[in-house]
Amino acid sequence: MTDVELPETPLLDELEKGPWPSFVKEIKRAAIEQEKAMKAGKKIKLPGAAKGLLKVLELAYKEKRTHWKHGGIVAVVGYGGGVIGRYCDLEDKVPEVWHFHTMRINMPSGWFYQTKALRAICDAWEKWGSGLTNFHGSTGDIILLGTRTEYLQPMANALAYLDKLYGSPAPFDIGGSGSDLRTPSACMGPALCEFACYDTLKACYEFTMRYQNELHRPMWPYKFKIKCSGCPNDCVAAKARSDFAIIGTWKDEIQIDQEAVKEYAKVIDIEKQVVKKCPTGAISWDGKELKIDNRECIRCMHCINVMPKALKPGKERGATILIGGKAPFVDGAIIGWVAIPFIPENELIEKCCEVLEAIWEWWDEEGKFRERVGELIWRKGMDEFLKVINQKADVRMVYAPRNNPFIFWRELNQ
Amino acid sequence: MTEEVNKEELKQKVLEYLAKKPWQVRDLAKVLRVKKRELDKIVQELINEGKAAYWSSGSTTYVTTKDKLEEMEKKRSGT
Repeated sequence: MTDVELPETPLLDELEKGPWPSFVKEIKRAAIEQEKAMKAGKKIKLPGAAKGLLKVLELAYKEKRTHWKHGGIVAVVGYGGGVIGRYCDLEDKVPEVWHFHTMRINMPSGWFYQTKALRAICDAWEKWGSGLTNFHGSTGDIILLGTRTEYLQPMANALAYLDKLYGSPAPFDIGGSGSDLRTPSACMGPALCEFACYDTLKACYEFTMRYQNELHRPMWPYKFKIKCSGCPNDCVAAKARSDFAIIGTWKDEIQIDQEAVKEYAKVIDIEKQVVKKCPTGAISWDGKELKIDNRECIRCMHCINVMPKALKPGKERGATILIGGKAPFVDGAIIGWVAIPFIPENELIEKCCEVLEAIWEWWDEEGKFRERVGELIWRKGMDEFLKVINQKADVRMVYAPRNNPFIFWRELNQ
Repeated sequence: MTEEVNKEELKQKVLEYLAKKPWQVRDLAKVLRVKKRELDKIVQELINEGKAAYWSSGSTTYVTTKDKLEEMEKKRSGT
């Protein structure tokens, strides 16, 4: 099929056999493309990087240990985050990936791109890095995988002038890492979704621009994440994965289109699939009219999700702030705690900034090394935290309002 | 005027400490007995002036002088 010789990787090959897309297949494709480009005379900064990566990965699976060491120079002038140093301890055997640093790139709000922007990022990365990317990393950033220390600054420069040098519609910047504000992220919000109760894209953009210093220069006890979800469906899992979750909600009544409900009644069993699934029993249906007791509604979104053409969030929209969520890999996950039950949409960004700055000052002063803000609240108490953000205790400040942010469709059909 | 002199003195002292090893700002603030926020500002200025730079252990970010950083990287790469 191809005259490019790839290393023997029997263990990695197993990972290509499943029905899912395989990262192994992609690395192999990158290795072939790179080799072809080199044969065609193209200058490659990291020759054989993808091939080298295959070798290191195969060895890691074989020996059941990693060959990556992390840490080191950050190397982009003035930046303390966004570059994750990776070195391979097999510099003699696999020199192609001896340096294999990762760069995190600040993605656009809601992950919207023009294809021109994507091409420009890829062109720059093929020039200054391995050409391997990960769209997107778990925090949302564009992840560029593998380059050498001496190419970090040129790549950062290429991103800063991506519009002029590579024809991107806009330049890009490095994202957050380490003990700083991580790249804020947002769902696609009003750009795509009629449930959005505030402009998540605008909020995310405003936080990113206003807190550039906090994003690029680590100075806190540990990381801090902001995520903006437009409605309680929480598509960016803000309540579970961010220290500061801004989740859209409404204060008044769910909007009902009774005619559309009747249309749904022709194709679904409203009693079984909507009324009986309401966690607080707030819905009734007599075959002609759907009624919702809005005082009982806990914003689970189930009825709206099942009948999106008939039901919509209310008109008095805004957001709830949840504090202290985190989702580490191994242990210690915390779901956010309601800190501010409702902020109207038109006051949202300014109020969030005011609260964020008060939290950061307190946490920076009181937090222990590698203590997330949620852990500090556990240690010091919610009472003290509420004083910091100048809020009075309120029955709506529910602890861990929803343990599982996902609806399992299988259960719905039971 | 006095404040300026004190700030310059502190800045110099910070540079001396940073030249010895990479520091976390909060630890250095304890050693120098200054407020962390004050030291944050001084470190930012040193970074802007190109005298200090960041170094990462992989999970934690430290600050050191540019010379120390280069020395550590040389040691790491064995050159």
